[in-house]
Amino acid sequence: MSPSRSAGAAISPELAPAADAAPATTGPSSPGRDSAGPGGSGDRGGHGRPWLVILVATGIVLAIAVTIARGVYRDGPLEPDAPTPQGSKAVVEVLTDLGTQVRVDRHTEDAAQSLREDRTVLVTAPSSLSAPQLDELAGALEEGEGQLVLVQPDFVTLSYLTPLITPAGSLRAESTVEAGQSCGDLTFEARALAVPGEEGLRGPSTLYSTRGEAQGCFDTPEGDLVAADGQVLVLGSADLLTNEGVREADNSALVLNALGPSGELSWYVPSATDPMATTGPELLTHLPDWAGPVGLWILLVAGIALIAWGRRFGPVVVEPLPVTVRPQEMVLGRARLLQQSSSRDAAATALRSATSVRLALQLGLRRESTLDALVAALAPHVQRSPEQIRSLLGPTPVTRDQDLVQLARDLDRLEKEIDR
Amino acid sequence: MRISLTPRAALVALLALPLVVIWPTWWMLLTCFVLWALVVLTDALLAPNPAMITVRRDAPGQVRLGKEATGRLLLTNPTARPARLEVRDAWNPTAGLSEQRSRLHVPPHERRAIRQRFLPTRRGEHSSRALLVASVGRLGLARRTARAQAPGRLLALHPFGSRRHLPSRVRRLREIEGLAAIHQRGQGTEFDSLRDFVDGDDVRSIDWRATARRRSVVVRTWRPERDRHVLIVVDTSRTSASRLGDSTRLDTAFDAALLLTALAGQAGDRVDLLCIDRIPHVSVLGSSRTTVLNDMVSATAAVHPALVETDWELAASTITSRARKGSLVVLVTPVEESVVHTGLLPVAARLARDHPLIVASVSDPALEELAAGRDDLETVYRAAAAEQARTRRAGVAHALERTGAHVMDAPPEKAPQGLADSYLMMKAAGRL
Repeated sequence: MSPSRSAGAAISPELAPAADAAPATTGPSSPGRDSAGPGGSGDRGGHGRPWLVILVATGIVLAIAVTIARGVYRDGPLEPDAPTPQGSKAVVEVLTDLGTQVRVDRHTEDAAQSLREDRTVLVTAPSSLSAPQLDELAGALEEGEGQLVLVQPDFVTLSYLTPLITPAGSLRAESTVEAGQSCGDLTFEARALAVPGEEGLRGPSTLYSTRGEAQGCFDTPEGDLVAADGQVLVLGSADLLTNEGVREADNSALVLNALGPSGELSWYVPSATDPMATTGPELLTHLPDWAGPVGLWILLVAGIALIAWGRRFGPVVVEPLPVTVRPQEMVLGRARLLQQSSSRDAAATALRSATSVRLALQLGLRRESTLDALVAALAPHVQRSPEQIRSLLGPTPVTRDQDLVQLARDLDRLEKEIDR
Repeated sequence: MRISLTPRAALVALLALPLVVIWPTWWMLLTCFVLWALVVLTDALLAPNPAMITVRRDAPGQVRLGKEATGRLLLTNPTARPARLEVRDAWNPTAGLSEQRSRLHVPPHERRAIRQRFLPTRRGEHSSRALLVASVGRLGLARRTARAQAPGRLLALHPFGSRRHLPSRVRRLREIEGLAAIHQRGQGTEFDSLRDFVDGDDVRSIDWRATARRRSVVVRTWRPERDRHVLIVVDTSRTSASRLGDSTRLDTAFDAALLLTALAGQAGDRVDLLCIDRIPHVSVLGSSRTTVLNDMVSATAAVHPALVETDWELAASTITSRARKGSLVVLVTPVEESVVHTGLLPVAARLARDHPLIVASVSDPALEELAAGRDDLETVYRAAAAEQARTRRAGVAHALERTGAHVMDAPPEKAPQGLADSYLMMKAAGRL
């Protein structure tokens, strides 16, 4: 009893982790002794996870709800369905309410067909059109009577469609442009147009100069914001059509009167999936002719290398290892149960009876002797009064957690006093 | 036999790239591939056939766990061509073979050796699962692999770390035997000699018949009986799989059994061993005194714990059929509640009626560490739970003592000596 007792007492709490670590260095498959160590941190990690799951689930549900509430539309500059600041839903809705049929075209062929059918065609991004597309549009313009409205076209686009209008400059400052004296019909009953300058959807607004039969309106010293040549109408800023920009000044009057009168409007948004927009296999044609065979050969060599390196030299050896069990699990589980149910009295009883048995053995008492006998035998050896000893070893209730820890330490101290 | 490619074969295939660049046709590609395949195949076929290489093994045989063993693989090349060989000797991982793969060059009609060092990390039998010999072509583009037949086996024996305690226990044994004069007559003693009465001798040991023949008073002396039978029963069930410190409970149990065997051999007793859980596993029965230790070490090498409960009734019937009345029975099993619930108590009571019985138990040192915890509330609760467990163990031990068994409960580092001391104590008390 005595050697085991002194061994138990010798391992102070500070030394205990070192004693645990020592066997761990002997090998990778060694001991489950650290099961005595704290497992609390792992538990705390597990508690945080449900919150994370709830958070993620809420986020997904919110995203789905927002999508459903918003409705499905394609967002982009001057998209006819988009209610965003850069979209043009407002203009399209109002035009539809005023009795204009609005059709959305995404391919050049459809837009050209609309021109031939004498409809008004609005091209939202004429600068992105390629040469064949512009040729197609120009051809359709000559064949039909339809009107073509271009939003901020560049020099190249204009050279295909109307050589009389050319870009002359840009309007960088946010400004309001008054309609001039000599505009005539080209004012579309608007007196002033507001453009945001540098902050615009496609940068600063473009100003155009006109020659010959072409007419300009809303003029500034550098050029006109709106220009027309026969069937072609040129608007100098994309912001005249956006949901955000259309309500400024008299922008709405210009837009509605320019697009509405024919009663049939095609809203042409150039798209990358247009068959005419594809540029063809230009990259591959630049490769030398030996590239194909060499690529194939390198692929083959890579395959050979993979096969060579992937070779397994003999079977994988499996080995059944003998089973080992961690014996302290039961004790630790019981300790956790005691703690969760706050069974302070049960824990105190266990500690007290263990100490009493050890003390009785040391003092030469029988195992079965009473508490009174033990207290009487202890009294001469310790500096405590019999009442103190009795309250320490007897069944005094333990009300607080700190009291339990204190009791355990007191019992330890009592044993050490007898040990001396 | 299989032909496989080496990474060098892929590098050689890259050499054809300039040809493909100069004549970039599909026909050129096909020609290059056929050429490459021909070169690789020729290289493989020109290598000596690995199946012709004869392999012989000098297996290490047996080794104590923790010690290093050496073995050799001897490869003979009977062909007329030099052989560049790659060899893989696939032992199980815990055999601790330092290098499974090796390359060597064997000239024609010569023999070369591969040295192997084993440092087993697990007790029991280890074996070579496969031995593969690959012969690499002269250009190193391909190899032919074959399986060689050279079975290898290595038995890692129990380290028997407690044998350092043997000399001191043997000295104690000799003391007990030498103190024959004070021996009272008892169950486990036999008549030694007659000598004159001296003051202090027990008057009951006076031999009146001999006294009548002589003029002086003569007493009989007794000495511990030799040629007694000791049966050690090791429990290999679930509880023996517990890991205490760096080894399992079963390892310590074998350590104790071996120390007791060595000591009993010195005392002139016969020792038998039974390993049992649901079925009797290994037994060492009727070995001669000189070979019993060796037999026991090799028999227990391959015994491992099983996750089952011990059938104590079966154990009792096996013990009664193996042990004569009066022979010492040692049960090596943990004194735990669970073991007792599976029926150890009645069996122990029955055995203790006919035999001196020692129940040797290996306790868990972690329990003491837990019981000493005073840091915070959690450690104090753990200490309380550990004390509860210890109290229950003490209760079980007490119950076993009351059936007449002698209970020895000690942590792993003290259990073998504890069992040996219990045996010596029984010898000294004349109970054996």
